[in-house]
Amino acid sequence: MRTSTPSFSNLIKHPLATIITLFVISLVLLFLPPAVSSRVKMTCAAPMRPVQWATCFCSNKASAFFDKIISALHDAQGKKHLEEQVLQFKNKLVEQQDTIYKLQNKLRNLSKFQAENTTMKKSPIPADIVGYDASNFRKSITINAGSKHGVKPNDVVVSNNALVGKITTVSGRNSVVQLITDPAARIPGRVVQTREQVIVEGNATAFCKLKYAPRWAQLKKGDDIVTSDIGGLYPPSLPIATVVENELKSGALFQSVKVLPRVNISKIESVLVITNSH
Amino acid sequence: MRWFTFLCILFCISLFQSTLMSWINLGSAVPDLYFPLVVFYSFLTDMKRNTLANWLTGMSKDLFSEGSFGINSVLFVAIGFFIWSFREMLFRGHLVTQILITFIFSLIYNVVYTIHLAIFFHSLYLSSTLWMIFCCSFYTALFVPVLFWIFDKFQPTQKLFLFKDH
Repeated sequence: MRTSTPSFSNLIKHPLATIITLFVISLVLLFLPPAVSSRVKMTCAAPMRPVQWATCFCSNKASAFFDKIISALHDAQGKKHLEEQVLQFKNKLVEQQDTIYKLQNKLRNLSKFQAENTTMKKSPIPADIVGYDASNFRKSITINAGSKHGVKPNDVVVSNNALVGKITTVSGRNSVVQLITDPAARIPGRVVQTREQVIVEGNATAFCKLKYAPRWAQLKKGDDIVTSDIGGLYPPSLPIATVVENELKSGALFQSVKVLPRVNISKIESVLVITNSH
Repeated sequence: MRWFTFLCILFCISLFQSTLMSWINLGSAVPDLYFPLVVFYSFLTDMKRNTLANWLTGMSKDLFSEGSFGINSVLFVAIGFFIWSFREMLFRGHLVTQILITFIFSLIYNVVYTIHLAIFFHSLYLSSTLWMIFCCSFYTALFVPVLFWIFDKFQPTQKLFLFKDH
């Protein structure tokens, strides 16, 4: 007598088997190495990118159009332009201030780093933002520059001379940028005014927090945080954020400091990717 | 349930979620368009179709978000199954039920998701995270009337507007 063997299609017809199968697939994907998982994601999402770009392009155009109408009505166009310039100058000022500190102190390490910096060829790649993170608790953007444009993982992304994030995943024509507000972001920084070394950490809100800010550090509202040369991933003296509030809790080893990133991601349309070609 | 229509809806939701949602943010909270879809199909379809639809929705969200691949599909399948299991006790056709279920389960989903994040990154403030979870869930629930109306237009079903179906 011939017995029929249960085929996959028969098995999948059973509701519980469907659930178990899909759970197992999800768990397998969940425990994939990050590099493989990122590649799978970028490949699967690739056909969607042109549509994403077109939607972003249209929405940006529509937004710009409405902005112009409102500006024409309220004569605010010039103001906006000036505000943008002021922001750029402010960031430049912070950068200059930091450089002055370093020159004044004549730090040996800095001069060594500057010597290295002159030999390093940095070429910025302009890119448009084509997509945002679908999750509320992760902060990343998709840009329309990829390996074909020379973008590599861990390249630094800036806007208006301030840090936006770093490249985490690269495909041919697109890349994913992990923003400084992402919970996984850790950026070595320095407080310009007090010279304290800190770690800027994202926490999925519009703000970031400073990790390891010493209790004795005289931080105050408005202090600027720039990238430090620790770790070598980020170029030094790049503005990151501004201190909004700090709190000293009794018994805590470090201060609790809330900082506001200098770049408002929801208001920018394009970024620059700084590639390091040694 | 028509799969082609479902895939079209999923495509549109992915597109809107990953591009236009940042224009209507409240602070850093944006409405999650995927979640009402999970609730809608949990109310509408049988267990097998519901599971597959929620799994595809989760995978789609995973594709367009940073982090572990598969986490949203696991959570969506689990939540979808849970809603499906007690849907007979609910008056599914009523708008208040739809909004409340979306709000409550969105809260649960966001809490579980942030616990997963907190385990890996230790960088979330409890108070701000709880506030954001509430904002996101509330904002998502506000979109339910519009989204359910659209979904129902594309996937018309009489079942949803009956008190009980046997």
